[in-house]
Amino acid sequence: MIMSVLFMGLMSTAAFAQSYDIKEMTPAVTSALEARKARFSELKTLKAEGIVGETNQGYVEALGGDKATAKLVAMENKDRRAIYEAIVTQNDLGASALVTVEGVFAKVQRDKANAGEKVQDASGNWISK
Amino acid sequence: MEGRMLRYCCLMIVLAGFLAGCTVKAVGDPNRPITINAHITIDINGLQKTASSIEDMVSGK
Repeated sequence: MIMSVLFMGLMSTAAFAQSYDIKEMTPAVTSALEARKARFSELKTLKAEGIVGETNQGYVEALGGDKATAKLVAMENKDRRAIYEAIVTQNDLGASALVTVEGVFAKVQRDKANAGEKVQDASGNWISK
Repeated sequence: MEGRMLRYCCLMIVLAGFLAGCTVKAVGDPNRPITINAHITIDINGLQKTASSIEDMVSGK
Protein backbone atom coordinates (compact mmCIF):
# COMPACT_ATOMS: atom_id res chain seq x y z
CA MET A 1 0.00 0.00 0.00
CA ILE A 2 2.72 2.45 1.03
CA MET A 3 4.91 1.36 -1.86
CA SER A 4 2.10 1.89 -4.36
CA VAL A 5 1.44 5.37 -2.99
CA LEU A 6 5.14 6.21 -3.18
CA PHE A 7 5.32 4.83 -6.70
CA MET A 8 2.33 6.90 -7.77
CA GLY A 9 3.93 9.97 -6.23
CA LEU A 10 7.16 9.37 -8.12
CA MET A 11 5.30 8.74 -11.35
CA SER A 12 3.33 11.95 -11.02
CA THR A 13 6.55 13.87 -10.35
CA ALA A 14 8.13 12.31 -13.40
CA ALA A 15 5.06 13.07 -15.44
CA PHE A 16 5.23 16.70 -14.38
CA ALA A 17 8.94 16.95 -15.28
CA GLN A 18 8.62 18.47 -18.71
CA SER A 19 11.10 18.51 -21.53
CA TYR A 20 11.09 21.63 -23.68
CA ASP A 21 13.58 20.55 -26.31
CA ILE A 22 13.72 21.93 -29.79
CA LYS A 23 11.70 19.19 -31.43
CA GLU A 24 12.16 20.25 -35.02
CA MET A 25 15.41 21.60 -36.41
CA THR A 26 13.89 24.06 -38.83
CA PRO A 27 16.20 25.97 -41.18
CA ALA A 28 15.80 29.05 -38.98
CA VAL A 29 16.76 27.16 -35.81
CA THR A 30 19.66 25.36 -37.49
CA SER A 31 20.95 28.64 -38.88
CA ALA A 32 20.65 30.36 -35.52
CA LEU A 33 22.46 27.58 -33.65
CA GLU A 34 25.24 27.31 -36.24
CA ALA A 35 25.75 31.07 -36.25
CA ARG A 36 25.93 31.15 -32.46
CA LYS A 37 28.48 28.32 -32.44
CA ALA A 38 30.59 30.11 -35.02
CA ARG A 39 30.37 33.37 -33.08
CA PHE A 40 30.95 31.85 -29.66
CA SER A 41 34.70 32.30 -29.26
CA GLU A 42 34.60 35.93 -30.40
CA LEU A 43 31.73 36.62 -28.02
CA LYS A 44 33.60 34.87 -25.23
CA THR A 45 36.61 37.15 -25.79
CA LEU A 46 34.43 40.26 -25.73
CA LYS A 47 32.78 39.09 -22.52
CA ALA A 48 36.16 38.42 -20.90
CA GLU A 49 37.19 41.98 -21.80
CA GLY A 50 34.00 43.40 -20.31
CA ILE A 51 32.91 44.86 -23.65
CA VAL A 52 29.81 42.66 -23.84
CA GLY A 53 27.62 41.55 -20.95
CA GLU A 54 24.70 39.19 -20.37
CA THR A 55 21.42 40.96 -19.68
CA ASN A 56 18.77 39.79 -17.25
CA GLN A 57 16.51 39.04 -20.22
CA GLY A 58 18.61 36.36 -21.91
CA TYR A 59 20.38 38.59 -24.42
CA VAL A 60 23.75 40.27 -24.74
CA GLU A 61 24.45 43.96 -24.64
CA ALA A 62 27.41 45.96 -25.83
CA LEU A 63 28.88 47.86 -22.89
CA GLY A 64 31.50 49.47 -25.07
CA GLY A 65 33.28 48.58 -28.25
CA ASP A 66 32.74 49.68 -31.80
CA LYS A 67 30.29 49.19 -34.65
CA ALA A 68 31.57 45.68 -35.23
CA THR A 69 30.76 44.80 -31.63
CA ALA A 70 27.28 46.33 -31.96
CA LYS A 71 26.70 44.29 -35.11
CA LEU A 72 27.86 41.09 -33.45
CA VAL A 73 25.60 41.76 -30.48
CA ALA A 74 22.63 42.40 -32.78
CA MET A 75 23.25 39.16 -34.69
CA GLU A 76 23.66 37.15 -31.48
CA ASN A 77 20.44 38.53 -30.05
CA LYS A 78 18.57 37.84 -33.26
CA ASP A 79 19.74 34.22 -33.19
CA ARG A 80 18.92 33.82 -29.51
CA ARG A 81 15.43 35.20 -30.09
CA ALA A 82 14.88 32.69 -32.91
CA ILE A 83 15.84 29.83 -30.60
CA TYR A 84 13.63 31.09 -27.77
CA GLU A 85 10.67 31.48 -30.11
CA ALA A 86 11.22 27.98 -31.47
CA ILE A 87 11.09 26.55 -27.95
CA VAL A 88 7.87 28.44 -27.23
CA THR A 89 6.22 27.47 -30.50
CA GLN A 90 7.30 23.86 -30.68
CA ASN A 91 6.30 23.15 -27.09
CA ASP A 92 2.97 25.03 -27.36
CA LEU A 93 3.80 27.25 -24.43
CA GLY A 94 1.86 30.27 -25.64
CA ALA A 95 3.22 33.62 -26.77
CA SER A 96 3.32 34.98 -23.24
CA ALA A 97 5.82 32.25 -22.27
CA LEU A 98 8.58 33.95 -24.26
CA VAL A 99 9.34 36.16 -21.27
CA THR A 100 9.70 33.08 -19.06
CA VAL A 101 11.98 31.37 -21.58
CA GLU A 102 14.11 34.50 -21.84
CA GLY A 103 14.37 34.71 -18.05
CA VAL A 104 15.43 31.08 -17.73
CA PHE A 105 18.10 31.49 -20.41
CA ALA A 106 19.29 34.63 -18.63
CA LYS A 107 19.76 32.64 -15.43
CA VAL A 108 21.60 29.88 -17.25
CA GLN A 109 23.88 32.44 -18.89
CA ARG A 110 24.55 34.03 -15.51
CA ASP A 111 25.35 30.65 -13.98
CA LYS A 112 27.70 29.74 -16.83
CA ALA A 113 29.41 33.14 -16.91
CA ASN A 114 33.09 33.12 -16.04
CA ALA A 115 34.48 35.12 -13.15
CA GLY A 116 34.91 38.78 -14.09
CA GLU A 117 32.34 38.77 -16.86
CA LYS A 118 29.60 41.39 -16.77
CA VAL A 119 26.10 40.19 -15.96
CA GLN A 120 22.97 42.16 -15.24
CA ASP A 121 21.18 41.47 -11.98
CA ALA A 122 17.41 41.39 -11.51
CA SER A 123 17.37 45.12 -10.80
CA GLY A 124 19.14 45.93 -14.05
CA ASN A 125 22.50 46.75 -12.47
CA TRP A 126 25.64 45.55 -14.19
CA ILE A 127 27.87 43.53 -11.91
CA SER A 128 31.01 41.48 -12.40
CA LYS A 129 30.45 37.84 -11.63
CA MET B 1 -68.78 39.19 -21.44
CA GLU B 2 -67.42 42.31 -22.97
CA GLY B 3 -65.40 42.94 -19.84
CA ARG B 4 -63.99 39.49 -20.01
CA MET B 5 -63.09 39.97 -23.68
CA LEU B 6 -61.47 43.28 -22.89
CA ARG B 7 -59.43 41.77 -20.11
CA TYR B 8 -58.43 38.90 -22.39
CA CYS B 9 -57.35 41.31 -25.12
CA CYS B 10 -55.36 43.40 -22.66
CA LEU B 11 -53.70 40.28 -21.32
CA MET B 12 -52.78 39.15 -24.83
CA ILE B 13 -51.39 42.58 -25.64
CA VAL B 14 -49.29 42.59 -22.47
CA LEU B 15 -48.14 39.05 -23.11
CA ALA B 16 -47.19 39.87 -26.70
CA GLY B 17 -45.25 42.90 -25.55
CA PHE B 18 -43.51 40.81 -22.92
CA LEU B 19 -42.54 38.18 -25.45
CA ALA B 20 -41.32 40.79 -27.91
CA GLY B 21 -39.17 42.37 -25.20
CA CYS B 22 -37.68 39.02 -24.31
CA THR B 23 -36.52 38.25 -27.81
CA VAL B 24 -32.91 37.12 -27.68
CA LYS B 25 -30.78 39.07 -30.06
CA ALA B 26 -27.61 37.59 -31.33
CA VAL B 27 -24.68 39.88 -30.65
CA GLY B 28 -21.32 39.82 -32.22
CA ASP B 29 -20.11 38.10 -35.27
CA PRO B 30 -20.67 34.33 -35.09
CA ASN B 31 -17.73 33.87 -37.44
CA ARG B 32 -15.32 35.78 -35.18
CA PRO B 33 -12.61 33.49 -33.79
CA ILE B 34 -12.85 32.81 -30.09
CA THR B 35 -9.77 33.52 -28.01
CA ILE B 36 -9.23 31.22 -25.07
CA ASN B 37 -6.66 32.33 -22.51
CA ALA B 38 -5.56 29.02 -21.11
CA HIS B 39 -3.20 29.03 -18.15
CA ILE B 40 -0.16 26.91 -19.00
CA THR B 41 2.15 25.71 -16.24
CA ILE B 42 5.79 25.66 -17.24
CA ASP B 43 8.23 23.35 -15.51
CA ILE B 44 11.09 25.77 -14.88
CA ASN B 45 13.54 22.97 -14.05
CA GLY B 46 12.80 21.27 -17.35
CA LEU B 47 13.23 24.55 -19.20
CA GLN B 48 16.50 25.17 -17.39
CA LYS B 49 17.80 21.77 -18.49
CA THR B 50 16.90 22.59 -22.08
CA ALA B 51 18.56 26.00 -21.85
CA SER B 52 21.69 24.52 -20.32
CA SER B 53 21.90 21.82 -23.03
CA ILE B 54 21.53 24.38 -25.78
CA GLU B 55 24.16 26.68 -24.31
CA ASP B 56 26.54 23.74 -23.83
CA MET B 57 26.03 22.80 -27.47
CA VAL B 58 26.70 26.36 -28.60
CA SER B 59 29.87 26.55 -26.51
CA GLY B 60 31.10 23.25 -27.89
CA LYS B 61 30.98 21.33 -24.61
